Amino acid sequence: MGLSKTEETSLLLDEQLLQYMDQLESLQEKRSALNTLIEQGWFSLSKARYSMGNKQVSSLQYASEMEPQIFVQARAVENDALEFCTERITIQSPTERVQNTTSVEDIGPKEEGVRRRIKASKDMAEPEELVGASTENPSPTSTKPPSESHRNNSDQNPQADPLKWFGILVPQTLKQAQSSFRQVIELSAEIATLQAAVLKTREEFRLALKLSC
Amino acid sequence: MAGRGKLIAVIGDEDTCTGFLLGGIGELNKNRKPNFLVVEKDTSITEIEETFKSFLVRNDIGIILINQFIAEMIRHAIDGHLESIPAVLEIPSKEHPYDASKDSILRRAKGMFSAEDFR
Repeated sequence: MGLSKTEETSLLLDEQLLQYMDQLESLQEKRSALNTLIEQGWFSLSKARYSMGNKQVSSLQYASEMEPQIFVQARAVENDALEFCTERITIQSPTERVQNTTSVEDIGPKEEGVRRRIKASKDMAEPEELVGASTENPSPTSTKPPSESHRNNSDQNPQADPLKWFGILVPQTLKQAQSSFRQVIELSAEIATLQAAVLKTREEFRLALKLSC
Repeated sequence: MAGRGKLIAVIGDEDTCTGFLLGGIGELNKNRKPNFLVVEKDTSITEIEETFKSFLVRNDIGIILINQFIAEMIRHAIDGHLESIPAVLEIPSKEHPYDASKDSILRRAKGMFSAEDFR
């Protein structure tokens, strides 16, 4: 025997109410975690400020050009619910970039090129660089040591790690602050998803309640 | 540019903005306006409200993070924002802990039942 329409509506309302309560509970838990992480981040920032100096960790240190490293994707999932996901761009440090480029260069040109070892000792570094440069730039006159060119790129590259704004050697506490805030950003996306879900469930519940009357 | 996702904007005090920019959300270049606002003691409510509204109008911002004490200053503007995107998240500040009873989203969600529902 099937359920009557009233019973079906009641079951649906109960289900939605339970879902709503679950979502509210998850939201509260994530909020609590977010608050804790933010406080940790501030504490680490304060410790870094204590060791580096007041003005060294402030808005005065912000770069004049910034590129975001983290983006958020908002997409609709089942039942027209909205989901926020973060995606992070990985940054290669200049040394990694140099290592990667040299490893690629080592495979090919070493076997092809002719290297001169007759020159004086001060010029010994040049053949290595000439071989490396030839794969990127055929004219030897425009040769630049790869480490320097990559260093210039990273200086001009607005995608450089924000940690670099505060100096080359930063204390561990500043790195801890960065780590805390990165986790906060991930959690923010989850909380935004939950908030949207809570509001949607509320609307659906109220609609179902109206139709049942 | 089209496939890269949306930005996270932040309106907060110096420590909050510094922390989130350290996390890597900041965008600032010659062509576009920044996606953050550092609120200081002399920042006017008008400026905060205009910045918030400008973030709402931009189609490349997915989430707006705002300190709750700043959100209180422009509560009417936040309550008036009913769209899902950008999502507005109120966060605590160093001097003002998070208060769930003041959060716009939770206040809307709290009104699950009205007196008429029980008649």
